[in-house]
Amino acid sequence: MKGILSYGILRGLIGQIVGWAAGIGLVTGIRALMGLAYKAEPAWVVGAALGIIGFLIGIGAFRDWFAWAKGEETPDPEEIHEEPGVKRYFGYSLDHKVIGVQYAFLSLFLLVVGGSFALIFRVELVQTGMQWVTLNFFNTLIGMHGMTLIVSILMGISAMSNYAVPLLIGAKDMAFPRLNAFSFWLAVPASLVLVSAIFTGGFDTGWTGYPPLSIRAPMGMQMFFVAVFFAGWSSILGALNLIVTILRMRAPGMKMFRMPIFAWATLATSIIALTATQLIGTSFQMVSFERLFGMSFFDATKGGNPILFQHLFWFYSHPAVYIFVLPGLGIISELLPVFVRKPLFGYKWVAMSSLGIALVGFLVWAHHMFTSGMEEYLRVPFMYSTLLVAVPTGIKFFSWVATMWMGRIRFQVPMLFIIGAIIVFLMGGLSGPPLGTVSTNLHMHDSYFVVGHFHATMFGGFIFPLFAAIYYWYPKVTGRKMNDLLGKIHFYMLTPGFLIMSFGQMQIGLLGMRRRIADYDPAQGFETAHLIITIAGFMVALSVLIFLINLFVSAKRGEVVTENVWQSRSPEWTVLPTPAPMHNYPQPIRVVGDPYDYGLKGARYVEILPQQAGD
Amino acid sequence: MPYHRVLIASANPLFGQGLEKMIQRQWKNPQLEIRRVDSNEAVLNEMQNWSPDLIILDYDDKTISRAEFLQEFVAGDQPMQVMLVSLKSSGAVVVYDRRTLTPAQAEDWLNLPKFSQATSEHPPIQRRSSMKHFVIVGVLIAVFTAVIYFLLSNIPLLPIAASVQAQPIDELFNLHFFMISLLFSLIVVFLGYSIVVFRHKPGEEEDGAYIKGNNPLEIIWTIIPLGIVIYFAYLGSVSLAETRRADPQALEIKVVAGQWFWRFEYPDYGIVSNTMVMPVNKQAHLKLTSLDVIHSFWVPEFRVKQDTLPGENLVRELRVTPTELGEFKVRCAEMCGTSHAYMESPVIVVTQAEFDQWVQDQLAALGADPVARGEVWARNNGCLSCHSVDGSPNVGPTWKGLYGLTHELTDGSVVTVDDEYLLTAIINPNAQVPKGFAPGVMPQIYQDTIPEQQILEIIEYIKSLK
Repeated sequence: MKGILSYGILRGLIGQIVGWAAGIGLVTGIRALMGLAYKAEPAWVVGAALGIIGFLIGIGAFRDWFAWAKGEETPDPEEIHEEPGVKRYFGYSLDHKVIGVQYAFLSLFLLVVGGSFALIFRVELVQTGMQWVTLNFFNTLIGMHGMTLIVSILMGISAMSNYAVPLLIGAKDMAFPRLNAFSFWLAVPASLVLVSAIFTGGFDTGWTGYPPLSIRAPMGMQMFFVAVFFAGWSSILGALNLIVTILRMRAPGMKMFRMPIFAWATLATSIIALTATQLIGTSFQMVSFERLFGMSFFDATKGGNPILFQHLFWFYSHPAVYIFVLPGLGIISELLPVFVRKPLFGYKWVAMSSLGIALVGFLVWAHHMFTSGMEEYLRVPFMYSTLLVAVPTGIKFFSWVATMWMGRIRFQVPMLFIIGAIIVFLMGGLSGPPLGTVSTNLHMHDSYFVVGHFHATMFGGFIFPLFAAIYYWYPKVTGRKMNDLLGKIHFYMLTPGFLIMSFGQMQIGLLGMRRRIADYDPAQGFETAHLIITIAGFMVALSVLIFLINLFVSAKRGEVVTENVWQSRSPEWTVLPTPAPMHNYPQPIRVVGDPYDYGLKGARYVEILPQQAGD
Repeated sequence: MPYHRVLIASANPLFGQGLEKMIQRQWKNPQLEIRRVDSNEAVLNEMQNWSPDLIILDYDDKTISRAEFLQEFVAGDQPMQVMLVSLKSSGAVVVYDRRTLTPAQAEDWLNLPKFSQATSEHPPIQRRSSMKHFVIVGVLIAVFTAVIYFLLSNIPLLPIAASVQAQPIDELFNLHFFMISLLFSLIVVFLGYSIVVFRHKPGEEEDGAYIKGNNPLEIIWTIIPLGIVIYFAYLGSVSLAETRRADPQALEIKVVAGQWFWRFEYPDYGIVSNTMVMPVNKQAHLKLTSLDVIHSFWVPEFRVKQDTLPGENLVRELRVTPTELGEFKVRCAEMCGTSHAYMESPVIVVTQAEFDQWVQDQLAALGADPVARGEVWARNNGCLSCHSVDGSPNVGPTWKGLYGLTHELTDGSVVTVDDEYLLTAIINPNAQVPKGFAPGVMPQIYQDTIPEQQILEIIEYIKSLK
């Protein structure tokens, strides 16, 4: 028993169950004292929230802070030497590389869960009529698919930035290692609460949770709200940590414009996450309170307004899509020069375009509301601001293409996914402007076209770059390379599968297929298209399965790598051993050049700082 | 640029002879004069006295002093270009113009001997072959654009356009499709061409060209897209305005949405219907509202869409002028709960004469028989979306044979379905839920939305379903 409990995650789970039960008991007890009967919803909401706190206590995320409160000393993160081995990935660790890998596993776990939801409802959609799920279960699944994958994406970008940013900028760790671990372990119980929504009645609103529907939805809605609230908190704290790390922890000589481009993308993303996430937390909290306490924020008959929710919600949820894609676009810009063997074209323009997207991204939220019935005069200004996003996005595309021009392109597995990312994101990007102009949006809004467009941006801006990043940094984590053949099979199944799926969705959307419907009118003639989309969806799923097999098998059997396997100029490959040691760079490094001077012989990016005598 | 006087400077006779032959063969210019020199002195001499407009300098030749040559080159004011040709390291060629040579370039060039290893690959901008690449890519982009636009125009992408408002929207769609074809081709052709032509060959260890960026180019591809998007936003505003053009003679239809039905009220005629009947070529002024949650009015053939909001102060409007006769369907486009997928109602576009006839029929149909009237109310209020009248299972209990039945309730008690039970079940549906059905599914709104007389008539109708 003692042995099993040394796995932090199990202590956390026990803590969550205890906390959850305590929350239910607390509310029921107070109600009993007031002479009121048991009521499930308030008891479970408080239970879910306390369960998350219980998990954090169980795993020891508060241990050092409690110690300080008692006036005890704790060792500095830099002095802690954690026992190497697989075990530390299952517990509380302060090493940013471990936390990065933990984030990646949580992300992939949620990707599998959320993707499986999609497979279930894709099968249902093959034929008209309801075959194997009920209407309510279908409606729950689409919302769960959406939010599970959104959390998966948030975890995925945290994985990439947590693992890579300190290495890229030559830091020993993140600025606040304890906060970093706290952010991660907050997301784990939150994810469990999210999945619990299925078992507590589900919810029939889709991931957007618009009131008044979300006020009438079953109790699963509340679990969804609690989960998003805490996952959002995790995201805010993670962003804060990354901003401080990037601004304060760079190696000597690394001026802002000598940072690897991925650090710029992470900085832009983190600024959005830090400043916008509160709004989704607030909007969901308001619905939750309307349900629990009868506060009528969104009830028109009591002086509220349902449109208010949509403004609050999209003020986060639109910038959120840039949170999701900017790190992926950063990965494209980061890896492209390595495999093209040529400097990144227009480094400063690419860096500034990330900040440009982040800034403009804050001014466009109401384009989700062109048909919502908000004040009509708002539609045209929001159309202008929305289309402006195309400009910095265009700069990225043109710069990538110019980077590849006259290169010596090497088609290793990460590069395949980079090319796939560019093409798929192009498809997502180009399907955006028709949605951005109001008059065409009147037709396309809430149609399957939006589904196709959104999935193309997420795959091009996140899924493909995530895979590229995993193939690329895998040797740094494990000391082994992932299998090339399986990697290629993964790519050549995923890409056509996805393109067919996404284009099919866009086409039937234009023809009149609504989104979020469990069944469709046979007279519209969409059965063949849905069959093809479902088959393509299964191709995507199968390719991911192959990837996962590769991921686990290569950890034991992959080709051993000790050197700079990609011949990258980045410091984690040039001066750091593989796999990366604890506390990163054993000797301090200094930046002496530009990051992407491929093609310039003799040029160097970093050098090991000579040890000063008498230091 | 047609050169007239070309000076070739190299101590290596093979360099000069070969080059001279090649130039004469390639340029085919009868007025072309070529001279060859092989020492530092001769180069400077010819440069001053003969004034060539192009000097081809053997970059690998150490006998020619670069410092002296450069001094002479930048000092003069006659148009002159120098082409540095290196045979030793990868056949690199670089061209400088006397008028545009910057001090930085000059310095680079003077420092070259010291770093000749490091920078030998640095200036190889292969102009001629680069031009060739761009021409091929340009042609491919044009071809791809044409093909993709042809495909987008010919595969079914939009349902038929059946309203006046659909015209400007479809025109804008068409322009979007063209722009998508063009931009998709632009990026994909450049990408694909690079993948094919600039791929790493096996065994090759070299890196790509050392090109870090180009600010004028970046400015161009910022400004042009900026202009395009502003133009599209302008077009979007114009077409939006066209879809909102109001006709004072418009027929007013109040569209009421509820879980999960549509109801259409014609205030001019006092008709309530669950089918939307519209006269062709006459603008309908829709006033949309909802009884419970947000729904959205969408007839894909009409193109326009508007959410319906609950709340008397949140009535929204939409203008539709149908142009095609026939039957369409309004399909709820905003997730509205369990039966959202089935929230569809017929929209029938008829001639004005047929419309007038329909109005007469509707008014006549409301006879004095309470059962017939009850059936109309049941249909108009969406009761039949969840309750079947033929005994088939649905979201709620079927009405066929319901009256007089003995129900077991969720709490285990038993009631007989009589007038009183039915009344309670309509106005307070969660009070006595029969076993096998979930509470909270049926909206608890009918006391407010249906007049009591009509509720009683609905009950009469239920009683009639044996």
